[in-house]
Formats: sequence, structure tokens, C-alpha cells
Amino acid sequence: MHIMEGYLPLTWCIIWFIISFAVVAFGIYQIKKIVDETPESKALLAVSGAFMFILSSLKLPSVTGSCSHPCGNGLGAALFGPAVTAVLATIVLLFQALLLAHGGLTTLGANIFSMGIVGPFVAWIVYKGLTKANIASTIAIFFAAFLGDLLTYVATSFQLAFAFPAPTFSEALVKFLVIFAVTQVPLAIGEGILTVIIWDRLKAYKPKLLDKLGALAPNEA
Amino acid sequence: MKFDMDYIAHNNELTETNPYFKLFLTAILLIVTLALDNLYFDVFIFVVMSIVILAIAKVNYKSYLKFLSLPMAFLVITCIFLIFFFGKGDVIYETGIFGIVVTTDSWHYGVYTFMRVMGCLPCLGFLALTTPIAKILHCLGRLKVPKIMIEIGLLMYNTIFIFLNEIDTMQKAQDSRLGYHSYFTSFKSLGALSSTIFLRSLDKSETLQNSLDSRGYSGELPVYEPRKVR
Repeated sequence: MHIMEGYLPLTWCIIWFIISFAVVAFGIYQIKKIVDETPESKALLAVSGAFMFILSSLKLPSVTGSCSHPCGNGLGAALFGPAVTAVLATIVLLFQALLLAHGGLTTLGANIFSMGIVGPFVAWIVYKGLTKANIASTIAIFFAAFLGDLLTYVATSFQLAFAFPAPTFSEALVKFLVIFAVTQVPLAIGEGILTVIIWDRLKAYKPKLLDKLGALAPNEA
Repeated sequence: MKFDMDYIAHNNELTETNPYFKLFLTAILLIVTLALDNLYFDVFIFVVMSIVILAIAKVNYKSYLKFLSLPMAFLVITCIFLIFFFGKGDVIYETGIFGIVVTTDSWHYGVYTFMRVMGCLPCLGFLALTTPIAKILHCLGRLKVPKIMIEIGLLMYNTIFIFLNEIDTMQKAQDSRLGYHSYFTSFKSLGALSSTIFLRSLDKSETLQNSLDSRGYSGELPVYEPRKVR
């Protein structure tokens, strides 16, 4: 669920834009480095971005009857690292605003921060940490996707509570957490399971690629 | 299928208008609407931009309503929530259920947020419904957004539509074999679908790169910009 166009006051739009800008700029720098080393990775990045967009436009069946969509954050972060994923997420969010009326231009900064920075970063840390601890990558990717998805919504709650601190910041935060984060738990589990299914197939068919990207657990490589 | 907005953006009376003008107009209007945060101005912008979209760009009113309805449902829910559960100050209205009250503060939050979104949505619609994505990306490229980002964006945009066809075929195939029959099977089908697309996309990216390289790709996709015929 993206924060929609015009939902945030101007000050907060600008603040989130500035924060996100720094991270995305670093991501672009990294992409430039990758592309200079291996020029053929540009197409891979573009196609992965398209995959993220497509994944987010697929409907995930959810228990509560509402429909949500997977973000593909966890997978992207595990494959490419958080900074590169932030750049891809920026383009994906721009496309979502312009092609699906999902999210918006003024809230782009805030959405990049929650979906493109917090989510992938958490997923990446979880994934790297678990694989370092010799846990199978299939289990690690589940927790990466699950926590990445969940923390995205926790970040969104924080952003909304900052913008609407009524009556106090902490009270507003608790309320937003209840609506956004708690209802998101089953969906996050769904995304985790889906990512595991994708990951299994990837491992079965393209083990060399995963190895080249450095995405496999040390004992599986 | 889902991307009627893209089709509309390519087929309306304002498609050929200068994209820089549209981009700047949208940006300025959005900033002004947010900065003023004035109820009357929100209504004014909503009416003016709707007229521009419907009468000047000649976008089908059904498509425009569909564009508005998607965020609208969510907006109404969140604003009702803001009105009833937030804020402090004088109580204006008591519902009598669980001590839920509407206060001056929460009323202010709810109404202003609602109207702000109402003012901003048509501005976004103006850009999204009249300007094809490729043109927006070219504009952004001229405005010093890093070239690599624009390139990836353009390649992504092209790839999305290739994927859409494949997904359509695959989903129909799965559906006709009862792939989305129950909750469990739909998960399995969706997983198979996404991983297959990812594997295919890897092959696609290789082919794409090879075809680009063999045509002398040096990091730029020159696009023919037709001169306006009056």
C-alpha cells in the first residue's frame, strides 16, 4: 500500500525526498560501477526491474479477502544488494504512479524511503546474517522477504505518524501500526512463501547465476 | 489489459503537446496545492484539471472515473479513520460507541487531507493520462537525471509489455487447468508463474543485450521525434 498523491503535507514530502535522494544517488553510483565492469549487466538490471514491476501488479491471494501484491523487495535485495534495489524501486514506483495511479509524484520520496530503502535494507541484512550463520538460503530468503515486507509497512506507519502526530506522536504511531503493520502480517507470510517458491526454482535452474551474484549461502556455493 | 492508462496516454488530444510544459505544469500545480493547503483552492484545482482532462485532452469520462476510483476507495477509508480515531481538542460529535468522538482537531485533519488528495489527484492524472512514459523519461534525461537511470527505465518500460503478453498466456493456461481453484493451488501457480517469468526474463535480457550490441549500442537509444504536422 503506497502513500497516495497529496496525502502528506509539503514539509514531509521534501524531507523524505532529501533522505531518499542520498541513498538513490549512492545506488546510481554503484550501478555505474557494475555496468562499467560488466556492460552486459545493464539489460539484466532492466529486466529485473521490469520483473519487480510485474510482480507488484500481480494479485496475491490473501486470507482476509482483500487483495495485496508482493513487493519483490526481498528477492531484489538478496540478488543485487540494497542500494541497487533502491534505484530499481525508484523507477518501479514512478511507473506505478504513472501507469497504475498507485502512489504519487509528491509522495514519491516517502514511498522510496519505505519500499525502496527500509524494506530491501532489512531484507538484505536478514539474508546475509542468516546465510552467514550457516542457515540454508531457502529459509533465509523466507525471513528476508517476510521481514522486508513487514518493516516496509512499519516504516510507512512511522511516516504517517510523523505527518499526523495527533494527539501525540506515539499514540498516532500505535494506531497506524495496528492498521498497517498488523494487518500486513498474513500478507508478509504470503510474500515469504511466494519468494521461497521462486527461490527454489532459481536454485534448481540457474545455480551458476546465483553463485556469480554472490547470493548463495557459503556452504551451498 | 490493466494498463489502459498507457493506451490513453498515447491516444488523446494532448499527446503531442510539449512534454516539458506538461511536466512543469504538473510539478508547479502539485507544489502550489500542497503549499497552500486551502480547501477552496483544492476544489478549484480539482474542477479545473478535470475540465482540462475531460474537455481539452478528450479523455473518455469512464476511464477518468476509473482512474479516480482506485485511490478514492482507499482515501475514503483512511479519512474516516483519521476523523474518528485521531486528534484532541473540543468534542464536536459523540458517536456513543466505545467513547469514539469527533474532535475539532481530527475533523480538521480528515477534511484537509481528503481535500488535498482530491486536489492533487487530477494533477497526477493530467500528467499520467496525457503523456507517454517514454516522453517523460526523455524529458527527465534532459533535466540531468543520470543517463544510466533513464536507460534502465526505458529498457524496463519496453520489457514490461513483453512480459504482460507472456503472463496473460501463462495465467490462462494455468487457470484452464484449475490452477487457481483453491487457496493452496493459487499460491503454487503464482509461484510457478513468477519463477518462470524470472527465468525467461534472464534469457530475454541476454537476447536483448546481444541484439543491442550487434546494432552498435553505446548506452543511448536514439528515438525519432517526429516534427509536428499542422
